[in-house]
Amino acid sequence: MSTTLMRWRSLAWVLPALVLLLVFVYYPIVDNLRLSLFSWNAFSVAPTFVGLDNYRTAFHDPIFWTALRNNTVFAIVSLVFQVGFSLVLAALLEEFVHERLRGILRTIYFIPAVISITVAGILFSFLYNPEIGLVNRLLGAVGLESWQHSWLGEPSTAMGSIIAMSQWQSIGYTAILFVVGIQRIPKEFHEAAKVDGAGPIRRFFSVTVPMVREMTTLIIILTVSGAFLVFNEVMVMTAGGPSNSSQVLGTWLYRNAFLNDDMGYASAIATVIFVITLAIGAVQIVVSRRRRIQW
Amino acid sequence: MKHTTRSASFAVLATVTAVALAACGAPGTANPGAGGASNQSLTAPAEKSGTITMVTKFADPKYAPYFESVTKAYEQANPKVTIKLEQVGDQPYKDKIRVLSASKQLPDIYFSWAGDFANKFVRAGLAADLTSVIGPDTEWGKTFSPAALKAFETKGKNFGVPIDLDAKYLAYNKAAFTKAGISGAPASLEELIGDCDKLRTAGYTPIAFGNQYGWPAIHYITQLNAYNVAPDTLAKDYDPATGAFTDPGYAKAVDQFKDIVTHCSSKDANGVSHEAGQANFLNGKAAMHYLESVEFQALTAKGGAPKELADNWDFMRLPAPQGAAGDAGALTGAPDGFMVNAQSKNAALAVDVLKFMTTQQNAAKLTADIGWLSPVQGSATSANSFPQLQSALADISKANQFAIWLDTVTNAEVANAYLSGIEGVISGSKSSKDVMTGVQEAAAKAKKQAG
Repeated sequence: MSTTLMRWRSLAWVLPALVLLLVFVYYPIVDNLRLSLFSWNAFSVAPTFVGLDNYRTAFHDPIFWTALRNNTVFAIVSLVFQVGFSLVLAALLEEFVHERLRGILRTIYFIPAVISITVAGILFSFLYNPEIGLVNRLLGAVGLESWQHSWLGEPSTAMGSIIAMSQWQSIGYTAILFVVGIQRIPKEFHEAAKVDGAGPIRRFFSVTVPMVREMTTLIIILTVSGAFLVFNEVMVMTAGGPSNSSQVLGTWLYRNAFLNDDMGYASAIATVIFVITLAIGAVQIVVSRRRRIQW
Repeated sequence: MKHTTRSASFAVLATVTAVALAACGAPGTANPGAGGASNQSLTAPAEKSGTITMVTKFADPKYAPYFESVTKAYEQANPKVTIKLEQVGDQPYKDKIRVLSASKQLPDIYFSWAGDFANKFVRAGLAADLTSVIGPDTEWGKTFSPAALKAFETKGKNFGVPIDLDAKYLAYNKAAFTKAGISGAPASLEELIGDCDKLRTAGYTPIAFGNQYGWPAIHYITQLNAYNVAPDTLAKDYDPATGAFTDPGYAKAVDQFKDIVTHCSSKDANGVSHEAGQANFLNGKAAMHYLESVEFQALTAKGGAPKELADNWDFMRLPAPQGAAGDAGALTGAPDGFMVNAQSKNAALAVDVLKFMTTQQNAAKLTADIGWLSPVQGSATSANSFPQLQSALADISKANQFAIWLDTVTNAEVANAYLSGIEGVISGSKSSKDVMTGVQEAAAKAKKQAG
């Protein structure tokens, strides 16, 4: 078979996936960019071209900046808990816990990840209820009445409460991914370090952390992108309130598209989200490629 | 050869991209030919046949079966007609109907709230002018309560068929009132505030209030705006093209709401859902609850309420403040309704389905099955409803006018400014001045958009 024919054949195999990608991924991205240059809504008789006006609106919109800040805080907290804490948890599970108990604990940690976000949101709405919620009851029981809040009802605590719920749900999932990464490290590496007199903490930093770098990069990309795409948690628990204090870019986009009837502005917000997540993904992939470890 | 293969690959890519991009038209090019169906005859066809698509927001398992059974009954009576009924929830409906509008896939019959929500479809030419069949002087139109019919009137034309009647009332636990030494329903807002203090002393939460998603507080503001602002000013401000919200009555309404929260409820209300608040009223911890008449059934034994409450509740309107400058006879509420797609090829058949849905028999069934009041006159009787529902119907007929829900009667920008501002008032982070500044800015933006 000639090389040309083989190439055409391989192209034929790839083509369906390529077409699907173009139609369902790249075309919407390009079209969204175009739509962000119009002022239009679902009922528009005549959409008008407004150039970069929607981006200027975003720049001067204080709620857009609140949303961006909330997403950033979400990403930072998620990095600490879903990457840092999860890696420690996974290492502890693999290093110190007996094999039988390890399986049980892994299952326990993973259970929140399989609960629907809507169910988890409603569950935490009950926990955060200022009158009957478990959180305030617990604080009251230990004499910390002054710490009690209407957790989802006060602008100062609403976003933090949502982020806390999200960490509870995701830590187990990322910890299991780290467990997989840790199990792939050849045992000899740890044994050699032990022979050299390295203790558990030294082995964690000198063997485990470098050897799970690729998994860490993957989880960082997933976590940070997820933090900028967050939507369900906020919609279920506060819908962006009170007083827009828990808006994130996704919910602010949704509100403008479907409640404020400003699809053009919503498209501009979508473009901003796309640019942020693309940039984060690209930077992380480049960094991880430079530091790849092979054995 | 390598070069040729690459060129071919790029050609394929370019073609696919071009085809994909060619599919993209100007955004949201809705049809400019408003009122397509207004040129068609809306008289029921002699031979009824065809398929009708219908989308409602009544997916709640308590309500959905009624609409399923009525559409099935129509199909049985007209075997050549198929009704494709799709029911979604309240919030998803707002997304779905916009997507259907933008993609020109609007069903033949679709749900609408009264006010600016309905007017959006009218302005875009997506709602059929039904005046010839449901106008107040027509045979069908005369079967409805005039106020309900008027709620879907725009510039003298009727665009909607009211399906239910809903009004906002303050339900109260008579036993709690007695225990707190309150002899009856307060006559003014000031008296209500005094009663709240008595109820708190007696160990009750005076008013059960959950505002997790913002709209329950907006219903208070709807009523207080109607009490404090003259009707003409209110109508002018609620119109996106002329809204200014500078009347001092608006700030007064926000201050009165703040008093209600302080004396009768709690600043924690933003963290409690409406349903959780209602549970406090049902279990006797709270003495009052501001709810819609469509929720009355939940307070009855049939609706699952404890006997102690089911046998011991009555309701009143939110009392008007003394010397209020607005209309003390206005009542918060509105009918919900259905509109007919102006581009529907089956508009006449769609109207026939809606006529069937609002016959005296089906209207009575609405009350009997799901406890809703129908706008069809004489449909609620002692046989199909409970005493409070009949009293509500009598009270609605006495109302000077409907104060339509603030979040559907005004432009969305204004509604959102109110929504976030009032949440701030509850939590204590905003004053009435802050709220009105936000609302005035939103009204100015809406006015600019309206041109």
